[in-house]
Amino acid sequence: MRPAPPLLVLLPALVLLPVLLMLPQLLHGGGWDLIGQFAWAALTPATDPVVVQSLLRGLGITAGMALLGWALSLLLGLGLGLLSSRLIWHTLSGAAAPAALIRRLLALPRSIHELIWGLLLLQLIGQRPAVAVVAIAIPYGALVARVVSDLLDALPTRGLEALRTAGAPATGALLTAIGPPLLPGVISYSGYRLECALRSATLLGVFGLGGLGNELLLTLQSLQFHELWSGLWLLLAVMLTLESTIALLRRRWSMPRRLGLAAAAVPVGSRGREILLALALLLPVLLLVAGALEVKPTDLLQWQPLPPLAPQGWATALALPWPSLIGSTLLLTLIAAGLAVGAAPLLLLAVAPWPWGRTLLQLLWAFGRLWPPPLTALLLLFVLQPGVIAAALALGFHNLGILGRLLLEGCEAAGPATEQALLCSGTTPRLALLYGRFSALARTYLAYGAYRSDVILRETVVVGLVAGSGLGSQLRESLSGFAWDQLAALLAVYALLTLVGEDLSDRGRQRLLGTA
Amino acid sequence: MSASSPASPPNPVLELRDIHVAGRGQPRLEGVSLTLAAGERVALLGPSGAGKSTLLAVANGLLVPQRGAVIWEGLPRARQAGRRRRQQARIGTLWQELRLIEELTVQQNLNAARLARWSWPRALLNLLLPLESEACAAVLRRMDLDPELLSQPVTALSGGQRQRVAMARLLRQEPTLLLADEPLASLDPRLAEELLGLLLREAEAPRALLLSLHRPDLLAGFDRAIGLRGGRLQFDLPLQAIRPEQLQELYAGSGELVA
Repeated sequence: MRPAPPLLVLLPALVLLPVLLMLPQLLHGGGWDLIGQFAWAALTPATDPVVVQSLLRGLGITAGMALLGWALSLLLGLGLGLLSSRLIWHTLSGAAAPAALIRRLLALPRSIHELIWGLLLLQLIGQRPAVAVVAIAIPYGALVARVVSDLLDALPTRGLEALRTAGAPATGALLTAIGPPLLPGVISYSGYRLECALRSATLLGVFGLGGLGNELLLTLQSLQFHELWSGLWLLLAVMLTLESTIALLRRRWSMPRRLGLAAAAVPVGSRGREILLALALLLPVLLLVAGALEVKPTDLLQWQPLPPLAPQGWATALALPWPSLIGSTLLLTLIAAGLAVGAAPLLLLAVAPWPWGRTLLQLLWAFGRLWPPPLTALLLLFVLQPGVIAAALALGFHNLGILGRLLLEGCEAAGPATEQALLCSGTTPRLALLYGRFSALARTYLAYGAYRSDVILRETVVVGLVAGSGLGSQLRESLSGFAWDQLAALLAVYALLTLVGEDLSDRGRQRLLGTA
Repeated sequence: MSASSPASPPNPVLELRDIHVAGRGQPRLEGVSLTLAAGERVALLGPSGAGKSTLLAVANGLLVPQRGAVIWEGLPRARQAGRRRRQQARIGTLWQELRLIEELTVQQNLNAARLARWSWPRALLNLLLPLESEACAAVLRRMDLDPELLSQPVTALSGGQRQRVAMARLLRQEPTLLLADEPLASLDPRLAEELLGLLLREAEAPRALLLSLHRPDLLAGFDRAIGLRGGRLQFDLPLQAIRPEQLQELYAGSGELVA
């Protein structure tokens, strides 16, 4: 009795049942009129030039931080990726052991969310433009490094061996045999990272690290919904433009799609010059942006003295309610991941009979990606009691936006033939979609869902800081109380959890893709 | 509604009246009319690009023509979605590339042909449990396949077996109109003849069969043949009445052999 692939896609949605059962008890009637005002304001955003100008300035800062953080992370990631590749070490020195060591060390910066890095640096260095850039670059760099080394070590080595036996020197042989097949995967992944960086920069802004996020938070807290929506629409325009530009470049340079996680080795060929030109243009842009934002690397060297430790700090750190903190963090992850992975196909099925339904969903999902989860959580708190469910809904909605877009891309890639055949034999649009398209993309979608769950675990801190649940909310208390010992203990637990989660999701993904 | 009940005098299974389908530059179909009565087995002939696939797409409802009427069992295309699906459920298509669902088992594929008549829960249950095994085994036997194959994933089948499973799925749908788009194109001659025999055998009244053929060398067993060229009907004749010159004219200049 093994469920067939299309059914597997729907299984994560089962988490909706307990959530829907619990919702009525969690609702409080207080803020429905606020939600109504918020929804109405979507159609009537503020057009006051002063407001728009200040929003645009914020947006510029956010976009600039994203771009700089992204570029720095690529630089770091490529270097570290090469350093943690077995293939590189093996070819250059004959031993592959250091690669594994560096790889393991990189797990630490990767396992801690950019927001935590941001808040830590904020305490250490103070409010400076460089903080957000570095906060993005640290975990992103480690993530890029992992992907680069994975790509490298998965490449076929026959060409390299042929060159080596023909007497080519190691570096030359590596560049020739490994460079071209590596490039499409790296560029495709970089595009994806840039999209993520824009979302992260917005999020960091919400927590006061500069840019549009902060204005969004302030307008939400002061219930200035019209101004809030002006900012949201602007951000949406930038995000959709960025996403479609990246999609265009990906198609143009024939890069692998994101759902095909294992990158196909496509020769770059005639597009090489274009890519080089784009890189050459990027450099002056980066310098200009850095100048305009006053991002100075030297800022990072001026550390502020830390406040002294409280006496018996370690004892209080140990006395924290660890089991319940960890338990609620895991529960939050589970519910949010189930909601995000399960709701996307369910919603797509629900709107299948209507031609405009898909467009509406795309808009909803775009907002999901756009909205920083803590803002969603704040909005939900107008009508929901704080806790795991509110936090999970906020986090789930954000990731639904990401997974939903991916699912649609996958649907398009699966091709219309089978669905058409089913429709022609009188099947309803919903069942035709389920049988005809979900069958083909089930495994890759769920594999991506496994990867996403691991990201969600890392992101729990973001909503925890607001909605009062999990390790995140404790982290906030410890941060604001300068309790460095508690903070260290919390971060260690967080890192451990995310590393275990990463391992589990890797195994799940391998199983899903291996049996395909 | 009485038109579709079995007691009334039989309507043609399919009727096309003056069908026009626009294309890039020249129309893909121009003024095509034809009638398919119950029990008729009709071959659709013509060189590649003649409009055979377009005609079949119009006949199975995938393509709505710019002009002209498509009448299935005496009724035009229904406007209401539910009625339209019941209409579609009586049209069975054997696709050139088969269009099996690769990730499912043979049995789940066969049952997919029943989705039009099944409720949601049943359609979901089909993805979990083997449903209606006896009916599925019966259609496999009619296609000379071993019912043991039911639990196999379709990816594990050979090319010939896949073709038969696709045909078994067609039977499982229990359509009245059988449409087939070059089902024999990629098969070796012996297998092609066998499969054609099976298809012709299934096309007895109240059913009717319209099958497109690239080359006119497998016409034995059909009642009528229709010649299509450049989107226009060249002839529509009983098999005995077709003269070799007509076939030669149909394929003239296309560089394709007439056997």
